[in-house]
Amino acid sequence: MVAIEVEGLRKTFKKGKVVAVDGVSLTIEKGELFGLLGPNGAGKTTLIKCLSTLLIPDGGRIRIFGHDVLKESLKVRRLIGLVTGGERTLYWKLSVFDNLRYFAALYGLYGRKARRRIEEMIEVMDLVEKRDERVERLSTGMRQKVALARALLHDPELLLLDEPTLGLDPQFSRVIRRFIKEELQKKLKKTILLTTHYMEEADELCDRIGFMSQGKIAACATPEELKEKIPHERLLEIKMAGLPDESLIRNIPGVEDVLMIVDNNRTVLRIQSPDPEGILATVLERLRKECRIIGFGLTTPTLEDVFIFLTGEELR
Amino acid sequence: MIRHYLTAINAENIKEWKIEMSYLPDFIRSFIEPIVYVLPFVLYGIALVGGRNSPNLARLVGSGDIITYVVLGYIVMGFLNTACWGMGWSLRKEQWYGTIETIFAAPVPRWVYIAGMATHSTLHQGGMIGIQVIVIHLLFRIFFHTSGILPSLLLIGLMLIALYGMGMMVAALALIFKEGWIVSEILHSIISVVTPIAYPLSVLPVFLREIAKFMPTTYGVLGIRHFLMGERVFFTIPEAVFKLLLFGFVWVGFGITIFLLIDRKVRRDGTLGHY
Ligand SMILES: Nc1ncnc2c1ncn2[C@@H]1O[C@H](COP(=O)(O)OP(=O)(O)O)[C@@H](O)[C@H]1O
Ligand SMILES: [Mg+2]
Repeated sequence: MVAIEVEGLRKTFKKGKVVAVDGVSLTIEKGELFGLLGPNGAGKTTLIKCLSTLLIPDGGRIRIFGHDVLKESLKVRRLIGLVTGGERTLYWKLSVFDNLRYFAALYGLYGRKARRRIEEMIEVMDLVEKRDERVERLSTGMRQKVALARALLHDPELLLLDEPTLGLDPQFSRVIRRFIKEELQKKLKKTILLTTHYMEEADELCDRIGFMSQGKIAACATPEELKEKIPHERLLEIKMAGLPDESLIRNIPGVEDVLMIVDNNRTVLRIQSPDPEGILATVLERLRKECRIIGFGLTTPTLEDVFIFLTGEELR
Repeated sequence: MIRHYLTAINAENIKEWKIEMSYLPDFIRSFIEPIVYVLPFVLYGIALVGGRNSPNLARLVGSGDIITYVVLGYIVMGFLNTACWGMGWSLRKEQWYGTIETIFAAPVPRWVYIAGMATHSTLHQGGMIGIQVIVIHLLFRIFFHTSGILPSLLLIGLMLIALYGMGMMVAALALIFKEGWIVSEILHSIISVVTPIAYPLSVLPVFLREIAKFMPTTYGVLGIRHFLMGERVFFTIPEAVFKLLLFGFVWVGFGITIFLLIDRKVRRDGTLGHY
């Protein structure tokens, strides 16, 4: 059964000057965990908002479990659990419980049934101790858990998670990821569409990944299939202190693509070439003039290498 | 379905109370302000007349008790605040909290939120008015016919329908205009000026008097003063009921139309979450 069906979706802002989603077609099956991977501004959030009836598209059509989002929006909203927009989507002045009770009422849960469901979600998300704490006093990670609990209250078939681990520390990110994979997908058999710009997240969690770049889906396949799109099994990776001139490497004969990751004063270059050993000497020779080489070696391609290979764009 | 919507309306109301109470000083201030606001008018009246009984007022409207006269006028106008500010600003506040998209993604029609905020602001305003009346009564004593309470409440209820329509319009406009408070301010000022709050209709210049006949608050104020202290009015009660129903119908229709148009607009422009 098809959970999400998007055909030729287009959404622009500022009277057409900003094209956020540019002709996206996408089909996601029931029970699938699908990831939209792309850098900031790729159009991921816009796509999620179109799916959740918060935006009216310029063109194209969206069906959620067979229901048209524009014509049957109330029905569609009932099927969706939405987590989006960072940590401000809760009432900071209300307790965890009061937040959940308010949203439960919006989703048609009331009385004892609502109370039982809220307590259950508080327990599932490991928030029992924070139950009566105001949201303003919780950490970012805790707030994300509350947001997830809220999205699950009405037991929706489909979860739309927009950057679910954005801004969380690694430990919390791991907890949330495990919850998405083990609890939501494997145990509860939910259909999940998540967006992310962390390639590890997409790689680790998703059955299929759509690469999103400048409003378009550049590729859509399983992580393994995507990695096979790079013609070479091995990449040359060089770590250095300092910031090299990328073009210096690009115009070495035999270099096909370069991914440059800069973190503080450290730079990592990942170079695609049919003959990585052959170009090694030349690459090192050129880099030595500008930077201090810390290490080099051969590695296998990651999703980020594939992303840059297919879109010419970096993820971060 | 109906149960779902009623629960949501009630939840909206409770949520607003809880958020307001979390800003305790502001919350308390909201109950004191109406008293502070109406006192100068009462005292000014007493100073001018040299007592609470004005023969001139009695000649104009049939009853000379200026304190009761003014206080009843301001009670009705409190509900105008409900529409212009309380209700009108509720969605703007959600925008500001960051919650508006999340609540608009829930499976209830938009009117449910409107009804929720109308319920809450009416209750809050009712509480404010109650305290206002009690305090003024303790200070000066208010005299009125208890038999007029029920018909007065009915008339206020009818007037509220039209004010809710205005509230919807303001709520929607506040979503798209950064300076939305101007809308509230203008609407509030115009209606306050032409409504005979602390003075009889007959002291207004003729053209304002004609405008006043199109304001639901005019019928509200004059109507309850008619029932509670026997003010002579220019309309019959069936006329007032008919007029209020008509205004209610027109304003609610207008308010809903504006609201739905703006709801579509913000979902096209992607400005729903912006503030
Ligand atoms: N409400 C809006 N008004 C104007 N431009 C917008 C709006 N929302 C998004 N955009 C623009 O659309 C593009 C896609 O944004 P977004 O969907 O948020 O991308 P992502 O979630 O992948 O980072 C960006 O260029 C962004 O600036
Ligand atoms: Mg985004």
